[in-house]
Amino acid sequence: MSRKTKGYLLNTAVIAVALLIFFFYRNSMMEANNKNFRLSVIPSVWQCCYLIILSASLNLVLGFMGQLSIAQCGFMAIGAYTSALLSLAFERAGFYTDKSGFNFTVVLILSFLNAGLLSALVGLVVGIPALRLKGDYLAIITLGFGMIIVNLINNLPFAGQNGLEQGSASSSLYENGLGFSSKQQVAWVFLAILITLFAVTIMFMFIRSKYGRAIRAIRDDEIAAEACGINVSHYKVLTFVYSAFFAGIAGALFSCCNGSLSTGTFTFANNSILNSTFLVVMVVLGGMGSLTGSIVAAVLMFLLNRFIKEGEWLSSAPQFVQTIFGYPMLVYSIILVIVIVFRPKGIFGHNEFSLINLPADLKRIFSKKKGKEAGV
Amino acid sequence: MSDPILTAEHISISFGGLKPVNDFSMSLHSGELVGLIGPNGAGKTTVFNLLSGVYHPDEGEIRLAGKRIDNMPPHEVVAEGIARTFQNIRLFKEMSVLDNVKVSMVPHAQYSFLDATLRTPRFRRIENEQDSHARELLELFGLENVADELAENLPYGQQRKLEIARALGTNMKVLLLDEPAAGMNPTETAELRESIDLIREKFGIAILLIEHDMSFVMNICERIMVLDFGQKIAEGTPDVIAADPRVIAAYLGEEETKEDPQNVNA
Repeated sequence: MSRKTKGYLLNTAVIAVALLIFFFYRNSMMEANNKNFRLSVIPSVWQCCYLIILSASLNLVLGFMGQLSIAQCGFMAIGAYTSALLSLAFERAGFYTDKSGFNFTVVLILSFLNAGLLSALVGLVVGIPALRLKGDYLAIITLGFGMIIVNLINNLPFAGQNGLEQGSASSSLYENGLGFSSKQQVAWVFLAILITLFAVTIMFMFIRSKYGRAIRAIRDDEIAAEACGINVSHYKVLTFVYSAFFAGIAGALFSCCNGSLSTGTFTFANNSILNSTFLVVMVVLGGMGSLTGSIVAAVLMFLLNRFIKEGEWLSSAPQFVQTIFGYPMLVYSIILVIVIVFRPKGIFGHNEFSLINLPADLKRIFSKKKGKEAGV
Repeated sequence: MSDPILTAEHISISFGGLKPVNDFSMSLHSGELVGLIGPNGAGKTTVFNLLSGVYHPDEGEIRLAGKRIDNMPPHEVVAEGIARTFQNIRLFKEMSVLDNVKVSMVPHAQYSFLDATLRTPRFRRIENEQDSHARELLELFGLENVADELAENLPYGQQRKLEIARALGTNMKVLLLDEPAAGMNPTETAELRESIDLIREKFGIAILLIEHDMSFVMNICERIMVLDFGQKIAEGTPDVIAADPRVIAAYLGEEETKEDPQNVNA
């Protein structure tokens, strides 16, 4: 058995055990009817799931391909609205009445797939012209496209300013469409976890193939990549579309755990956790070019966001701290600056966290530290 | 002699009022090793850029094995069979040495998206083949022990070698080497010579090289072309070139026009 196969098996085993533990934990909590678990832990898991998919998918473009795109939340908005509207349409057609059973599962699968596919299609339309540009120019044009997408949705007659709450689909998502109530979120939590696992695994497969090699080559040196026979624009658009697909899936997950949708959630500069700047911070923090880094950073940033918004410690903190933390965006930018100054490659750099290499890695890090202390 | 593999006929290119390459013609046969020399700014690298598709000539045509390639983008030219290295090393710095070589094999990896996602036997077979092929190429240059290092951590001489190894991964018929010995010490240059001999023996390809190290060029090349102000001023065997008065006037006779090897990589 090769080392690679061993690594895969080890990862699968550890994930399976973790899932099993979570399964029993959930069941015991459900039996105990634990309110904190239902109203706090489970929604957090849902949020982490879509944040993980989002930051990992952005890392493909930003970290692995080296192209700064900030349209990711626009693609997410497309996914969210597609899945929500599709599920509402099915509900109106009477295809399902309660959110369980075979028919609803079919609707779920359809909504998720379509969310991804439509995002990918828009990604293609946006990517072909946009990816002719590089660096700051690409950032500006993707920022523009992100805003255009959100504004388009805003002006759709059936989506509306306040999302599905007040548009012609006047009923709220929470009651009729994809939106899960807190109890349903507990019941369907494994859907979110499995989709996330699936998405991240597929992205790993992409990175560890010729596609991954090609886009990392493009990041390091476009001219040399071209001289190696790589069709640079082809791979750029392909990766952009691929990344948009997963942003769409993340959007569908988002609409699952929200009672209503509002385009305000997806605009460039808002105070919530979901904006493209926040995502860029996540990718940079985790390490540009490290999918496991993105996962860790997504969870870290989520916890930090919670800590800022809901932490009770804040009221007893000094006034100026309260003022700063009143503007979470400010805190994120401070984090970004700190990361760039002290650890420009992020937590993981280009490396992936791997269980099978963990002992060796720890040894190396430890010996390095020792060396530093000894003044070597 | 058989038909030439690569021909350029009366190619010219101008950037505004400047004509870096003017009415340049050449031909290259399989198995040949030809040198392209000339003083700084003579247009040597521009010729390489024209041959490899980075620029497209305003006039004239370039043919590889009879097929016109002068209007193809670089990646298609590579697919046709011209590989090149760069004057200032262009490695994929943050990738491993092995991956650097495997990048040039990406276009030959005939598996689909689905194969990669599902890790089908076909995917594994092709990946394994490419892996061993890449290691063979690294072995040619004595780089097999650093296969897992990052390319940026290699010493200068090895980086140059890696660039050639990477170019060899493309299944080329013609190899363009842009100053392969620049910045190398005499030992490294000697090693490079051995590697180039080995490549010719093993692959039987045509090599065109730009070089400022005169003893290197004179010893290794069978034929030399001299470029000055975008035009070919002489062509022939090293002995003929060394004795040509125009070449001496343009290049060899004047010490101060010789390039300082320190500056080449600046």
